[in-house]
Amino acid sequence: MTDSEQNSSTTAPVVACQGVQRIYQQDTVPVYALRGADLTINAGEFVSLAGPSGSGKSTLLNVIGGLDGFDAGSVVVGGVDLGGLNAAELAEMRLRNVGFVFQAYNLIPVLTARENVEFILQLQGTPNQERRERADAALQRLGLGDLGDRRPGELSGGQQQRVAIARAIVTEPVLLLADEPTANLDSKTTEELLGLLRDLNPQQGMTIVTATHDPIVMGYTSRQVAMLDGEIHQDSASAD
Amino acid sequence: MFSSSFISTLAMLFNFSLRNIVRYRRRNFFLFAAIAVAVGGTTLSNALIRGWQVDMLETAVSGLTGHIKLQAPGFADDPSLQNAFSSLTPISLGDNVPILGFAQRINIPAVISSERETRGVALVGVDPANEGISLYRDFVIEGEDLGGPEDGRLLIGRALAETLQTRVGRRVVVIMEGADGKSRERGYRIAGVFDAPMKISEELLVFTGLEAMQAALGNTQLRTPITELSLVLQAEEDRGVAQRELAAQHPQLVVKDWREMQPQVAEIVDLVDATMAIWFFLIMSALTFGLVNTLIATVMQRTRELGMLRALGMNQRLLLIQVVMECVGIMVVGVIAGLLLGIAMVFGLGDGIDLSAFSESVEAFGMSTVLKPVLTLEDLLLFGGLSVLVGVFASYFPARRALKISPLMAMSR
Repeated sequence: MTDSEQNSSTTAPVVACQGVQRIYQQDTVPVYALRGADLTINAGEFVSLAGPSGSGKSTLLNVIGGLDGFDAGSVVVGGVDLGGLNAAELAEMRLRNVGFVFQAYNLIPVLTARENVEFILQLQGTPNQERRERADAALQRLGLGDLGDRRPGELSGGQQQRVAIARAIVTEPVLLLADEPTANLDSKTTEELLGLLRDLNPQQGMTIVTATHDPIVMGYTSRQVAMLDGEIHQDSASAD
Repeated sequence: MFSSSFISTLAMLFNFSLRNIVRYRRRNFFLFAAIAVAVGGTTLSNALIRGWQVDMLETAVSGLTGHIKLQAPGFADDPSLQNAFSSLTPISLGDNVPILGFAQRINIPAVISSERETRGVALVGVDPANEGISLYRDFVIEGEDLGGPEDGRLLIGRALAETLQTRVGRRVVVIMEGADGKSRERGYRIAGVFDAPMKISEELLVFTGLEAMQAALGNTQLRTPITELSLVLQAEEDRGVAQRELAAQHPQLVVKDWREMQPQVAEIVDLVDATMAIWFFLIMSALTFGLVNTLIATVMQRTRELGMLRALGMNQRLLLIQVVMECVGIMVVGVIAGLLLGIAMVFGLGDGIDLSAFSESVEAFGMSTVLKPVLTLEDLLLFGGLSVLVGVFASYFPARRALKISPLMAMSR
C-alpha cells in the first residue's frame, strides 16, 4: 500500500462495497451468494453482519478480507481497491491491513501462544526485540500475560480465541474481521471475549466487523447489519 | 544477498518445520525408517560393488601386470628373449608421482614336464625381494621360497603340482626358447609349492631366480636382459602421468598401463561405476514415489493449517520454503540415519563375505574369493548429497499442492 493510500485510509471509509456480486457455480447452476451488496463502514465502527445460513454474511466478510473474489461491483478496504489485486497482492493486503479471528481459532499448534502472536509480526518483517515486546503487550492486554509459553493444546477454547485476537490486533490492522468468533465458546466466555472486542474498539479506534447469527454478539456491536439472500436487508445505521 | 529480516523469517520457518516433524513423529518415524533402510541398503550394496571393483583392480594390478608395464616392441607378438631389453634401474618419476615399487622380470612361455605329465606355463624369472608389489607376496608356500635372484630352483603352484603329480624336492624338466632362438631343456628342482588367491595363477605361473634364468637362457647382446618391468604407483590415478613420463624416458620401449593390458577388466571396472549409479537411481526412484506420496498426504492433512497461513498473509514463496524445509528436514534425518546404518553394516561385515563356495565363478570375474566391502568418503558424500537432492525433488510435488490451497477453501473445511 502506498503512503497516499494509507493517508486516504484515515479519512475515507475503511470498507466501501458497492454492488458486490459473488456467484458460485454449483455444477452448471449459478448460485448467487451476494446479489449487489452495498456496505460502507467507517473507522472505529463495531459492526455485526447477521443473517441465517446462506444469507451471504460470511461471503461478504471473506470478500472484504480479500479471502474470496467477487464477480461484479467494487470493494475498497483501507483505500485499496481489491478488484485489481492478484493473489500475491491480496496476501500482502491481508498481512498489512486486516486482522482475522476465526471460529475455530486456527492457531498454529506447534507454536506457543507468544510465537503464534509473533508469527504475523515475523511475516511483516518486524525486528526480533520489537516483535517480542509487541507480542507480550498484546497477550498482556488480553489477560494472557502468563500463558505466553503454552501451546494451543494446553489452553482452553476461550484462551485460544483470545490468543487469536491478540494475533489479529498485534499488527494494529485497519480492520479486524471475525467470523463467528464465539460459536465454539460457552456464554460466559463469549461475553468476556465480546467485552474485550468492544473495549478494543474505542481504545485503538479499531474497526471491527463480525459475521454472526448470535443475538448476544449483535448486542455488543454498535451497528447491526442484517443480510438476507445475498443482500443487505437491514442496517441499523440507516435506520438511525 | 538476503536481508536480516528474511534470514530471521527463514530461521522461524526452520524452527516451525522442525516442530512439525516432531509433531507427526509416529508417521515420520516410519518415513525415516524407510529412508534409512533404503539409504543404508544402498550404502552397503554400493560398498560391496565398490569392493568388487577394488578387488578386481587389485587382482589385475597385482597379477604381474602392475599399473604400468614396460616391454620391448614386438614382445607381445613374440614373447622370447629375442625381444628383451636391458635392466632399467634406477626408475625415477620425481616427487609428483610416488612409486610403491617395481619389479624386473623375464617372463616367457615354457613347457614343464614331470615323469607323468606335461603342461604349458609362463616361466618367470624374478628377484623375490622386489615382488612385494605382485601376487607373489600373497603366496602361501610349502617348502622353501626362492632364496634370491640367483636361486636356480623352481616355485610352482599347487594346482600345477597336482597336475604334474609332483611335489617339493622333486625334479622337473623345463623346455624354453634360449637367447639364440633355439630350444633349451633343463632340469630344475622344486623348492616350493605355492597356494595363490586365484587358481589360474597356480596353474600357469612358474617362478625361478632372475639371474639364474638369465644364465640358463644363454648370452645375449644385453648384459642383464629382462622382458618386462612392472611398476606399481602409490595412487592409481597417477598412471596417466607416469605412463607419459616413462614413455618419454624410454622411447625405445612400449609403455602400457593396466587398462591397455587388461581391457576386459578395465571395462568391468568402468561398468561398476555405472552399475552403482543405476542401482542408486532405482532405489532412490522407488523411495521418491513413497516419499512424494507420504509428503502429499502430509500436506493434505494440513490443508486447513496451510490455508490459514495463506489467509494471514503468508506469501507463496514462504509457504513453498516451509514445505520444502519440512520435506528436506525429513530426508536429511533419514539419510543421516541411513548412512550410519550403512556404515554399521559395512563394519559388521568385517572380514568380508566368503565366496569360496563359488570360487570358479568369482575367479572368472577376476575376483578373489573374499568380497570385502569398500566404503569411501566420496561415495558417502555422494550418496548423502544425492539423497538430499532427491528430498528436494520429492518436496516439489507436495509444495506444488500446498501452493494450490486456497485460503477460503481451506478455512471452509
